[in-house]
Order: sequence, then structure tokens, then C-alpha cells
Amino acid sequence: MTLDIQWALLLPALLPVAAMVLVLLVDAVAPRTRLAAPVLGALGLLGGAVAAVPGLVATEPRLTLCTPAPDGRCMWDGSPLASTLQLGALLATLAVLALVSVRRVGVVEVVLLLASVSGAAAVVAARDLGTWLVTLELATLPVIALVAWRERRAAAHGALTLLTTSLVSFGLLVLGTALWVTATGDPTLTGSSLAAAWEVSEQRTLAGLATVVLLAGLAFKLSAVPFHAWTPTTLTSGPLPVSALLASASKLAAVGALVVVLAPYESVLGGRPGPHVVVAALVVLVVASMLVGTVMALRQTEVVRLLAWSTVAQAGWILLPLTALTVAGRQAAAAYAVVYAVASLVAFAAVRAVHGWRVEDGRNLTAYRGLLRRDPVAGGTLALALLVLAGLPPGVIGLVAKVVALRPAVSAGLWPVAVVAVVAAVLGIAVYVRWFAVLFGEPETGAPARPRRRRASVAVAVVGAAVLVVTSVLPQLLVGLVS
Amino acid sequence: MSALWVAQLLVGIPVLAAVVTLALRRTPALAALVATGASLLSVVVAVVGMAVAPVRGENLVLLRQPLRVGAIEMPFELWSGPATAAVAAVVGLVAAAVLVFTRWYLADDDRLAQFAATVSLFTAAMMLVVHARDLVLTLVGWEVMGWCSYLLIGHWSRKESARRAAYKAFLVTRVADIGFVLGVVGLSAGAGSTGLDRVVAFWSHTGGGCVDTVTQTAACVAPPEPWLRSLLLSLLVIGVLGKSAQFPFQDWLPDAMEGPTPASALIHAATMVAAGTVVLAQLFEVLVLADGARWLLGLSTAATMVGAAVLALGQSDLKRLLAWSTVSQVAIMLSALATATAEIGPDPALFHLWSHAIFKSLLFLTIGWLSVVAGSTLARALRGSVAVHQLARVAWLFGLLALAGAPFVVGGLSKEHVISTAYEGAIGAGGPGVIVLAALLVTVVLTAAYATRAWLVVTASVPETESAHDHARMPSAPVLAALALLTVLSVVGGLVLLTGLFDIHGTSLWWMVLTVLLIVIGGGITWLARGNEDPRDSFVRTPRQRALADGGLGFDTAYRRGVAEPVLGLARVVAFLDREVVDGYVRGAAASAGIAGWLTERGHRREAASGGVALVALGLLVAAGTAVLAWR
Repeated sequence: MTLDIQWALLLPALLPVAAMVLVLLVDAVAPRTRLAAPVLGALGLLGGAVAAVPGLVATEPRLTLCTPAPDGRCMWDGSPLASTLQLGALLATLAVLALVSVRRVGVVEVVLLLASVSGAAAVVAARDLGTWLVTLELATLPVIALVAWRERRAAAHGALTLLTTSLVSFGLLVLGTALWVTATGDPTLTGSSLAAAWEVSEQRTLAGLATVVLLAGLAFKLSAVPFHAWTPTTLTSGPLPVSALLASASKLAAVGALVVVLAPYESVLGGRPGPHVVVAALVVLVVASMLVGTVMALRQTEVVRLLAWSTVAQAGWILLPLTALTVAGRQAAAAYAVVYAVASLVAFAAVRAVHGWRVEDGRNLTAYRGLLRRDPVAGGTLALALLVLAGLPPGVIGLVAKVVALRPAVSAGLWPVAVVAVVAAVLGIAVYVRWFAVLFGEPETGAPARPRRRRASVAVAVVGAAVLVVTSVLPQLLVGLVS
Repeated sequence: MSALWVAQLLVGIPVLAAVVTLALRRTPALAALVATGASLLSVVVAVVGMAVAPVRGENLVLLRQPLRVGAIEMPFELWSGPATAAVAAVVGLVAAAVLVFTRWYLADDDRLAQFAATVSLFTAAMMLVVHARDLVLTLVGWEVMGWCSYLLIGHWSRKESARRAAYKAFLVTRVADIGFVLGVVGLSAGAGSTGLDRVVAFWSHTGGGCVDTVTQTAACVAPPEPWLRSLLLSLLVIGVLGKSAQFPFQDWLPDAMEGPTPASALIHAATMVAAGTVVLAQLFEVLVLADGARWLLGLSTAATMVGAAVLALGQSDLKRLLAWSTVSQVAIMLSALATATAEIGPDPALFHLWSHAIFKSLLFLTIGWLSVVAGSTLARALRGSVAVHQLARVAWLFGLLALAGAPFVVGGLSKEHVISTAYEGAIGAGGPGVIVLAALLVTVVLTAAYATRAWLVVTASVPETESAHDHARMPSAPVLAALALLTVLSVVGGLVLLTGLFDIHGTSLWWMVLTVLLIVIGGGITWLARGNEDPRDSFVRTPRQRALADGGLGFDTAYRRGVAEPVLGLARVVAFLDREVVDGYVRGAAASAGIAGWLTERGHRREAASGGVALVALGLLVAAGTAVLAWR
């Protein structure tokens, strides 16, 4: 079998792999050059990001890895949506690399990060179940090692939780993949074969079951309720930069994978019967994630745990537009995920800048009292990130993302879900404003001292905040990017 | 220089002066000098404006396309007419005199620059109202004046009484402004434009073919409902009554005497209280058709002019006497608008505005000088203070003569015209003419009486021991020059009629004879009633009467009991409902979120690595359950 390959389209995923190989080679040849690994890694990430840029504005289809006609299937789609998610994942990983700090980063960390991001970049563009499954695991498994690597016992505990979860998730995904192939007889995720399967009653049921199982597996990655239990444990016990990675790049990869799975459903949307099972499963995930995540976040006083629960709540928001199963919904989900990833990266970077790399101690809300006066840069960027997460002006982009996310669900007639989303948004404001309000006021005398080495964290926070400001002023930049 | 240019300059110069003055506030003397220079420049421009003013009936063309906002068009144009040019000139003149006087009077004040800036901005706002050819611009000027009056009255904000007076002025005029804003909105919405021409054309259209005006399109539609016209004009009149301190809003003006005297001179003579006259004069063609509004205006002004004159008789403070006289005189101005027929037009009112501005600013500036000499504005302290300078005596004399309406001085001429306007209105047309005419004649007597009293007080001879006045602080030469100019103008200001800027018909000699007779009666009453020692005792003899007169017949209490307390009571009810009922839901939501959080947290208490497996199993169950349910 011959494959038609356009290498340019594969570059966002291939460049990090190339960088990874180079890092290993350099380490093997000259183990003493400490700076080589982070520099090569950063270059690989930047190169991948640059390679993803042309896809943002492409108008014609960007398909590759196609089997020959007549019944040719393409296994790679570098559409604007996928390119946006690739760009987001690559830049988020670059930010995480900066957060790890150049002095402390080792070859293993860089390699694991690059492996993870190449998986993320591939999974969002994959169109066949094989590539999809392998790259999804490639995006996830290195993170488990990152959590455990060179960290304390608590981190091992967190890594173990993540590992258990990932194994269950992997099992579900494999099961779902097998069911999908059984149902449609097609190893690619295309609308036409799903539509053909949907005509037959037994195949329809099987396809629905396959999708629900796949959804369950992906919900682990996305930390949607009820598959979220690992999130608070892992995020709080692992190193902070890895938590930031889990909240940003991994989340983007999971959203991309979900988008790929749900894309074929557009062709059966008008069918009779429609894909009610899938919608119902999604609605359950959305409602449970939003409500549980928000009310749990309301009760947290430890900031990383608060961010972890907010991740759960935001997973509900990311899933919300997907319930419409339309292209607009998928775009809205991607837009929301990108906004969330940037805002949470800024928040994690600010937390890192406040506490230094010994982040385990005193991460209580009380340590943030008067941060805006004590430390205007970290405090200001954190305040902006919180406002964006809450969806309050002047963090306009957060509000725009919420509105964009609500619109597909509403136009699909899912009013009850929209009502729950509004309730969750109101409660969510309380979550973030609770932290936001602490930033004002008089600094306490017992506040933690400002760490010395934190330039990279501050830079990440400032750049991310700048992105948020620019997109708040010109929201059409982001909304236009994915649509 | 065209008339339009003059209009733009007259609005622009004081605005610029206000900004520059405020920027220079670190050097108050220089700042005040800048403001004064700008105001003198305005006077020159305004005099040029009188020369180049368009002749009657000439229409200024619109320069640009009006701005369209929805269905409403907003031309945002300024304009100038003959009477407008004269009014603008007197506004500029009074503002300049006030600023010249301020530089002497407030020389030691640390906030002199802020005061001068506010005066400039105030002047700009009045100029905007005078020159506005767009109701939105009128509204802007109107509101800015309200704000500036608050700042000026409360200038000495360290004094509790000044703060209260400022709040009172602001609140009372704001309440009345509700009517003004509603009226402006209604008039603009009906006409589909905020431009004065189209508003007047639309609302003064009474049917019977297209009126041939600039805006024929507006005039050709169906005529507006008479009741609607009356209602909207009445709302507008309510706003005017508030700003002009007419019954029942009159009580803020005497309290506003807590402000520095130059501020009083500005507010009373040429700006705020007179602004209503200007606005109604611009809308006169509509007002003359709105009988309800004319009745409202006529009745209110008739009551005000008599009541305020009576109160002026009993004041123990000469500044408050002047304040009540302003209320009475503005009532006379507005009554001319209420009674004038369409043929007479609004110019008698504007002419009285012109003359009142001159003599009232003269009186206020003179009393400011005398109060510096005597250390107080109380009648008891001011006795014999006029002996300080010959100019003070002459200025006070001619100011009071004009106030009383003596023949041939400026106030006398304009009052004659108002009286004959009321007479024409009474015999010629419906409306409140008869009542207003009767009130006017009574007011002439009363005005002469209190003017005589004011004269007697300051010229009373006092024993040498008490007249140890401080002669150290003589006004500077510019102040004396300004006072002299105003004195001369209050005698010969009536000559402005020769320029033809005011469109005024002649008056009858019989009315002049009658008013002279009434003035003599009024003066004579005071002469007969004068006390032996204390000139305060002319009419008010017991402390109880004095308290009643000084308190404005207890209207302050009435405002508090009738308006402030019910409003506060309502606010308390709303606050209670908000706190106990509406907030109940909010608190309930918060509590239920808290309970939900507690319950959820209990469910997540076991966060062991294996603990997750239980939830994983639950997730699997849910997934499988969904699948089984779907298996049909």
C-alpha cells in the first residue's frame, strides 16, 4: 500500500520528535552540556509551532497520509481547528518548559515533554483510530513519568493515581475503538461510514455504545465528572509545572481527540433516530462536571487544589458546546479550551512566581493577601487570569468564550443544559472572586518572601497575560481563528 | 466675523479659560488673572457679536448634515439672533465684572483658582444655553450650570451651612430637572429631531397647510395634539421653575447666599436663574400655543413675585433681601413669557433679563464691598456702611432705583414693558394675564418698599462709636471701574432699545404714571414704617416674625417634611425589601451552594490512589448503563 504524504503538514508533530532524538543524541555524545537539552527542546517546540501557523489561515483542505483512490481515506487532517489546538499545545508546553526552570531541567524532563507534545500535536490531526489511539497515549503516558520523576513520595502517590486512571482509560479507549471498527467496519473516523452504519439498527446501537465508551475513556483525560477523581490528587502532589502541563497542553490534546471522535456525528445529526445516546452521555458529563467542580472549588483554600477543581468545572464548559454535535460546537469547544489553557497557565505561572519552586508550602489563599501591592506583576497577571476564568470584564475573552460555548448548545435546543451552565457560571464567579478579592487589601507581615529565581515564571505569566489582554480587546482574533 | 463664529467663540473661550485656570491652580493669582483676561476678551467678542448679529427674520443656514441617532437627528448647531446677541453680551459683561471683583474679594482664598475656573465654566454653560440651536446642547449647558452652581455655592465647603446650601440647591433643582429632561425628550421625540428649528416648527404647527419654514418636511405632517404640547411644555416649565427658584422651588435661592458674594452675583444676575427665561424664549412659539403651560407659569410666577417681595421686606440680612428680590424679579421676567401674545413675542422678558442682569450684579457687587467693610451682611452691621466711599453710595442708589423700577433707568423701562405685555395679554388673549397683571402691580409697590428699606439701612446715620469701619481694604481700581461701568449701564442701559436688538413695542405713558405713583406709595410706606433706631424693624417687629421671614415662611421644613422624609421613608422600605426579601434568595443560593459543596466534599474525602478506582468503577457503571439503556 502506498501512502500519499505531504511532510509539511506533519511537521508540527514531527519537529518535536526530531528535537527529542537530537536531545538524546547530544546527551549520548556530550553528557555535560546542560543547556543543550532545554535549548534544543525549545527550538523543537518553537519550530513545531511555526509549522502549525500556516494551517490557521488555510482555506483549502489540508489532508495527507491518504490511501489511493477510489475509496481513499486520509489519516491526517491539518485543518485550522487542528492547527489551532496544535499551536496551543506546543506553546503551552514551551511555557511549561520555561516554568520547569532551565537550571533544574534535565534531559529526561525535556524528552518526556517533547514526547507528550508530539502525541498531542498528532492526536488532534489524526483521522484513523490507530494513529488516534497511539498518539493519545503518547500524549498521556509521559506525563505520568513527569509527575513521579525526581519528586517526593506524595508525587509518587499522585503519579500512581494518574497511572491507575490512565490504565482504565486506555482499556476503555481500546474497547471503544474495537467496538467502533466492529460497528462501522472502517478503521477511520469518517462521517460517511458512520452514516452507513447508522442505517442499520444493530450497527447503530453498537456505534452508540462505542462512542459512549470512547467518551468515558476521554473523560478521564479531560477530568470530567465522574472520571475526575485523579485530578485534585495529582495536580496538588506533582510538581507545579507538570500540573500546569496537565491543565493546559494535556487538556488541549484531550479536546482535540474528542473533537476527532465526535466529528463524524455531524453526518447523522438529522438522521432518524438521531444520536441521542451520545448527546445524553455528553449532557451528563457537562452537568456533573460543572456543578461538582464549581461547588468543590468553592470550598478549597489551597490554591492549587482550587485550580484543580476549577479544571474539572472548566472541563464541563469545554464539553458544553460539543453537545450540539455541530461544527460550530467543535470550534467553540476548541476556542474555549485555548482560552482556558492560556488563563490557567498564567495562573499556575503566577503561583509559581509567588512561591518559587518549593511550591508545596503555604499555598493557602491567605498567603495571597495584598499580593497586588506586594508584587504587582504576579498579582496583576493572576488577577487577570482569574477574571478570565470567571468570565468577568475586563477579562472580556473569558466572557466571550463562555458566550461562544453557550451558543451551539442553545441553538441545538438544549435549554436545560444552558440553564445549568448559567448557574455554574454564577457560582464560578464566586469561586474566582474569592481568590481575586484576597489579592487586594493590606499585605500581611507573615507573607512568604518573594523567591529569587523566578524570571521565567514571571515571563510566562506576563506573556500569557498579554495574550489575554490582546484577545480581550480583539476577541475576533481567537473566535475567527477556529471558525 | 460672522454671527456663528461669535457664538462658537463665546462658548469656546470660557471653556478654554476654565481648563487653563484649573491647570494653573498652583498659582492662584495668575490663574484668576487668566480667567479675567479671557472674560474681558469674551466681552469684546460679545460686543462685536451685537454688531454683526443677524437681523430679525434672517435664518442662519445649517452648516453640515445633522448627526442621525436612530430615528432622531441631532444637528448640534449653535446660532445667534438679535436678542440672543444682547443677552450674550450682558452675560459676558456680568461674568467679567464678577471675575474682576473676585480677584479682589477672594484674594486671600486658597482656592481662588478653582473658583475662577468654575465661574468660567459656568459662563460657558450659560453661553451654550443662550446660543444652543439644539435641545441636547441646551440640556448639556443646563446640567453643567446645575453642577457649577453646586460648586460655587459650596465653595466655602468648610462651613456646614455652605455645604447644606449647596446640597439643597442641587437637590431642589435636580428634582425639578426631571421635568425638564422629560420635556426635552418628549419634544425631540415628537419632532424627530433635537434641532430647535424642527422642534419649534413641529410643535407650533396648528394644521391648515404647510408652514413655510426652513423645515417644511416636519411642518407638513399632522399637527401635534394640543394636550400633548401643553403637557410637554408644562414639564419643561417645571424644570424652569426649579432652576429659576420659582414657587414651589423658591427656597434654595436665599440659602445659596452662603456662597461667596461674587458667586451670588453670577448666579442671580446673568446665569442660572435667568437660563429658564432664555430657554422658554427660544421655544416661545410653542409656549404661546400651550395654554396649560402658560397657566402653570403664570400662576407660579404671580404667586412667587408677590410672596418673594413680601419676604424681602422682612429680611434681617441684606444679602438675603437681594436674593428674595431676585426671586421676585425673575418671576416678573417669566410672567412676561406667560402672558405675551404671539405678536408681542418673548423680547420683553429678555429685555428684563438684560436690565436685571445689570442692576442685580451691581447690587450684589456693592453689597459684597460693603460687607467687607462691615464684616457682615446683616442689616444691623451694615448700617451706615455706605459712607465708606462715594461710589458705593451712588452705585447702591442707582441699583436700587433700577430694582424699584424708577422711570427711565434700565429696570424701570423693562418693567414698564413687562407690565404692558401683561396688560395686552390680559385684554387680548386668554391665559393668566389678569392675575399676572394684578400681581405685577402689587409687586411694584412692594419692590419700591423693600428697595427703600435697603437704602435706609445702609445710609442710616450711626453714632460715631459704632462706625469704626475698617478703611484699610479699599477695592482695587479695576473693581471700582467695573462698579462704575455697571452703575452707568444701570442708568443708560435702556439705550440698547435704540439698537433694535430687542423687538419691543412702545409703552403707554399712562402706565408709566401709574407705576410712578405705585412706587411712591411703596417708598412712602417704608418711610412711614421705619423704626426709630434699628432699621431692621421697619416691618418685622417681633423675633417670631423675624424668624418666620428669615426662614422663608418655613419652606425648608416643608421640603423636609413633604419631600425629603417621604422619599427617605420609601428608600427605607425599598432597602428593607431588598435586604430581607431579594437578598433572601441570594443568601439562600449561597447557602445551598455551600451545602452542596460540603456534601460533595464528603464524597471526595478518600482521595487515595485506590480510592479513585471506586469512582472509576462508578464511571464504568454509568457508561455501561447508558449503553444498555440505548440497546433497544
